[in-house]
Amino acid sequence: MSKHLLKFTVNGKDHALVVNSHDRLIDVLRNELGLKGTKEGCSTGDCGICAVLMDGKLVNSCLIFAIQARNRKITTIEGIGTAEEPHPIQRAFMKWNASQCGYCIPAMILAAKDLLDKNPNPTMEDIKHATSGIICRCTGYLKIFEAINTAAIEMKAESK
Amino acid sequence: MHRFDMFVPEDLEDLLKYVDSHQSGVHVIANGTDLINRIQRKQVTPKVLADISGLNELSYVRKEGDKLKIGALTTISELISSPIITKHYDVFREVAAKFGGPSIINMATVGGNICSASSSEDLLPVLLVLNAEVRLRSLRGERTTTVEEFLKGKRATALKHNEILVETIFRELEPASTCSFDKVGMRNSLIIAFVNSAVYLKLAKAGRLVEDIRVAFNRVNGKIPQRARHTEEKLRGMKLSEESVAETVRALKHELKLTSDFRVSEEYRVDVASALFKRMLNRCSEKLVGERGIV
Repeated sequence: MSKHLLKFTVNGKDHALVVNSHDRLIDVLRNELGLKGTKEGCSTGDCGICAVLMDGKLVNSCLIFAIQARNRKITTIEGIGTAEEPHPIQRAFMKWNASQCGYCIPAMILAAKDLLDKNPNPTMEDIKHATSGIICRCTGYLKIFEAINTAAIEMKAESK
Repeated sequence: MHRFDMFVPEDLEDLLKYVDSHQSGVHVIANGTDLINRIQRKQVTPKVLADISGLNELSYVRKEGDKLKIGALTTISELISSPIITKHYDVFREVAAKFGGPSIINMATVGGNICSASSSEDLLPVLLVLNAEVRLRSLRGERTTTVEEFLKGKRATALKHNEILVETIFRELEPASTCSFDKVGMRNSLIIAFVNSAVYLKLAKAGRLVEDIRVAFNRVNGKIPQRARHTEEKLRGMKLSEESVAETVRALKHELKLTSDFRVSEEYRVDVASALFKRMLNRCSEKLVGERGIV
């Protein structure tokens, strides 16, 4: 089975590593780079939990072979904020206690980032659509929507 | 995961040479939203995947003369944000709204949707009612065929082992015509449809006369998206009214030869198909009457 040299950027850092043809992006992020913030749910593209940003767009990392991410820029939840310096979206999630079991939260936050980067004034409908591909099995959607709405308001205020 | 080799072509020529020199076992992968699942389930067991996801030359939406051309690698997100896809082509936005969440429409490609050739591909009914064609290229030349001819059966297409689908082409919609898409499944995002369908309607300038109509469903007779031609015949030349639509719905119910499966029963599929057909006809005629001044 062929091996490939994968060169790509993850959270602003350049990487070059050898991957198998059949390695998925999520496998490389979690197992090679140790970025365990990206979670695996259904592995079939139904739940959206494994979402990361690729060149700024939300994608499912279980439905991409690692080598297909060559020359791309990947952002995982680790690239969004830290415990010491959380991103405004993460602060809003904390404020609303929007995380229950927490498993879907990295994907929800990345979906929110993708939305707010493109549309700083989202309606509730926009927020629902932006997160519609991600299943929260705790069914805690309302606080997640509210948190993203709050994040939008606060990010706008901060940018002024 | 099934084991395979990955071939990463430099450009389209490189890819065409590769598939030309390999008789079998090569499977083209675009962005993988459908194929990776099928490989994991061992429904497809390729020896080699030829990865076209980096061939940016296949990602475009263009207008040439009275034709619209969509490159095979154009994603659903790119399609609906193209300035070429004006309000007149909102049908593609209707598809995108029910196609999947952002992480899917950012990756799923127009060419992939066509080549996957199953009743769950939401673009297919729309391309069928637009009388769209596909352009297929090989090292030896190229040919163009209609989407209808291209779809041979469930997961079966007219694509030869050495050919690549490079673009889909359709004639611009005339001002007095419009299209609509609708779908019913278990939820709004990321869902395989029970029924998906599209209608193309052209009305005469006055009198709500149906000058032309095309109707397609994901299943008509068997499991591939097809036109419902008897139903079309029923309404062509008629005046659009409650009676004529009711009569056409009866024709549609007669024409649909559907089957039950683990998703839903045959009876429910037929009911949903009839309801969607009426809804799309209404939406089309409202668009034409409201926006284009047809009375």
